[in-house]
Amino acid sequence: MSKFFKTIIAFAFLSVLPYSASAEVTFVSWGGAYTESQIKAYGDTYSDPDSIIFEPYNGGLGEIRAQVESGNVAWDIVDVLPSEAITGCDEGLFEDLSDVAWAPAPDGTSMADDLAASGVTIMPPCCAPQIFWTYVAFYDPDNFPGNWGGAKPEGIADFFDVGKFPGKRGVHTWANAIVEMALVADGVAAGDVYGVLETAEGVDRAFAKLDTIKDHIVHWSAGSKPLELVKSGEVVMSLAYNGRIGAANMSEGENFEYIWEGQVIEQEYICLMNGAPNRDAAIDFMIHASSSESQAEQAKYITYGPMRASGIDIIAAGEPWFHTGVSVLDQMPNTPDKIAISVIGDPTWWADNGSEISERYGAWMGN
Amino acid sequence: MEVHISTAEQILTTDGIPLKDSLKKTERRNKIKAFFLVFPLLLFIIVTFVVPIFDMLGRSIDDSQINEVYPNTFEEYRKWDKQVEELPPEEVFKAIYFELGYGEKIKIGRALTRMNYSKSGWKSLIKKTQRAIKKDLKSEVVIPSYKDRLIEINEKWADRSYWYAMSQMLNERTPIYYWNALDRTYDKDMNVVRQAEERRIYIKTWIKTFKVSVYVTFFCLLLGFPVAHLLANLPLRYSNLLMIFVLLPFWTSLLVRTTAWIVMLQQNGVINGVLVWLGILSDEGRIQMVYNETGTLIAMTQILLPFMILPLYSVMKVIPPSHLRAAANLGAKPFTAFIRVYLPQTIPGMSAGGLLVFVLAIGYFITPELVGGKDGQLIGHWIAYHLKTTLNWGLCAALGAILLGIMLILYWLYNRIVGIDNIKLG
Repeated sequence: MSKFFKTIIAFAFLSVLPYSASAEVTFVSWGGAYTESQIKAYGDTYSDPDSIIFEPYNGGLGEIRAQVESGNVAWDIVDVLPSEAITGCDEGLFEDLSDVAWAPAPDGTSMADDLAASGVTIMPPCCAPQIFWTYVAFYDPDNFPGNWGGAKPEGIADFFDVGKFPGKRGVHTWANAIVEMALVADGVAAGDVYGVLETAEGVDRAFAKLDTIKDHIVHWSAGSKPLELVKSGEVVMSLAYNGRIGAANMSEGENFEYIWEGQVIEQEYICLMNGAPNRDAAIDFMIHASSSESQAEQAKYITYGPMRASGIDIIAAGEPWFHTGVSVLDQMPNTPDKIAISVIGDPTWWADNGSEISERYGAWMGN
Repeated sequence: MEVHISTAEQILTTDGIPLKDSLKKTERRNKIKAFFLVFPLLLFIIVTFVVPIFDMLGRSIDDSQINEVYPNTFEEYRKWDKQVEELPPEEVFKAIYFELGYGEKIKIGRALTRMNYSKSGWKSLIKKTQRAIKKDLKSEVVIPSYKDRLIEINEKWADRSYWYAMSQMLNERTPIYYWNALDRTYDKDMNVVRQAEERRIYIKTWIKTFKVSVYVTFFCLLLGFPVAHLLANLPLRYSNLLMIFVLLPFWTSLLVRTTAWIVMLQQNGVINGVLVWLGILSDEGRIQMVYNETGTLIAMTQILLPFMILPLYSVMKVIPPSHLRAAANLGAKPFTAFIRVYLPQTIPGMSAGGLLVFVLAIGYFITPELVGGKDGQLIGHWIAYHLKTTLNWGLCAALGAILLGIMLILYWLYNRIVGIDNIKLG
């Protein structure tokens, strides 16, 4: 072998070595503006920003289970939905983190109490809290239909009232949140929704309410779709992820109006992969990412709310908080006044009943 | 001939070995060489294609994990005479009590996903119960009746529907996932019965998938045939231009094309807008062409069209124009000449295109997902859903295996009717 090649190979090894030696934590999340906000709020504020690699994925536990089952774990931290956090923890896809000392709030409140103050009493033991995001109804006042007689939809009951507010509704193609909303629209108190859903009659009642708007629904499956549907006038009201509406309002000059009453608040967790290649560094980063300060910081870039109550306090004290210098609390889904009129999504109920309800919803859509 | 060749007459190479052997040796060496050349490819196919398929087929009948967790419970369960006793006997309660108490948490957790699919609610029931049992075991209380204790922990243990659902899990090798994939399930005595009415979704989706695929294939043929004919018969400079029109969308991202169709078809979209502007439709009477089955059909037909046109084109290209002229010369009218001389010669192209489009359509996922809306979702939607969200991989595998089975049957039918040698991609 020529000396030249030997040198090249030596260099190749040298350039690879530092990478394999230093612990680089792979943080897997949903991509787009959401991951962007995580990079700015958690990554850039971390003591060693370069050690965190952010990667997008399409959600779900499928890939995670495949990695853990094959013993070929490439990811360290994954951003997952609450019911997936529970199932993943049960299945041993994520590592139990009950013994980790999470960062307390600035006033010394423990993380568990901090979460309880936001209404979250059960935290999956393998995960750290992230944000609240919501399924919320919205409309475009600039595109106000003439046949509404000047009335404004104010609650989720109006979303289900096609007599008073004629026009199409945008609804997603899966069952989450819409079932709860149907019950609230039918007169069930937000706090009693899951109690009612426990019984077969309760589920029937939700679907009976859904029947009343069935012919007026346009179904969407991608998160950006509802904004286009409402903007183009394809539908007069739609359900959407609140962060998408917030981004349109705050960064794209839109003027969408939320219908907060009856929104469904969902949680979001970051969990540690079982067998994560850089376990210790990952846990350290998770502690940082779930601190009150980091969570509040994230609200500078996206209107998803911190799960820790102290995060909201930091934002409230620091207004105008958004990075563009405007106030953000109006767009936040989980200020105390909004929590009072919202359904707090119950991931345990969904982990239990998700597949049956989803099949039923699929059958209902197709009929 | 061979009789006459004796050893003495054999032709020898320079080193004294019979030429025949020498040739054989070289040939063998070449074969080995050739094999080693394709070996990586073979390995690749085995690892990425053959093994996963068999793994999938294995999963579709495998229920061993849950049997590993509850062996005693299931054994006692089998002895339960459901006609006589309303609830399972004490032994069943005792067995599950200890299997939950001493079982590995993660193994029980994995079994939960499977149990919950048979009946919603198992998940929280088992988890709550497990927590209580662990406390019992720690405090070493004496339990006179495990049945009463479990029902005390959670009254759902007295609900027979949970116990009846257990009949679906008893066998390590089970056809239950296939039954589930066909809207069937087991009743308490393991008889196959239809799924509860509001959960019957798969047969309907199968029929829809099949229907959409047949329609898409048919429309592709209908639209693709004239285009391919033009491509094959126009002068080169025109046909090249036309070919670019066919290939350009083919090279464009699938997502872009799908989204473009949404813009065209939606109620406030281009087509509806033009129709309203022309006064053909009233403003209230805009047609719903997307977010339903129609949207799926239109978008899929356009997206799969090149897969029909290209094989057709390559076959038509080599049909000599003289055949049609000869037919005309022998007195055939243009239509007759086309039907009896030209059309039969395009069958290899039509079958290749048809099979390609159909195979692609039946497993299509992303386009129906985006434009399908309420009733345009195909079976791929449910496979993805169970793969990602419910983690019911047994059902996924069964759905996939049925899809594979349908394809094999089609292939067999096709071979019987048309003959696989008649397929031609170019």
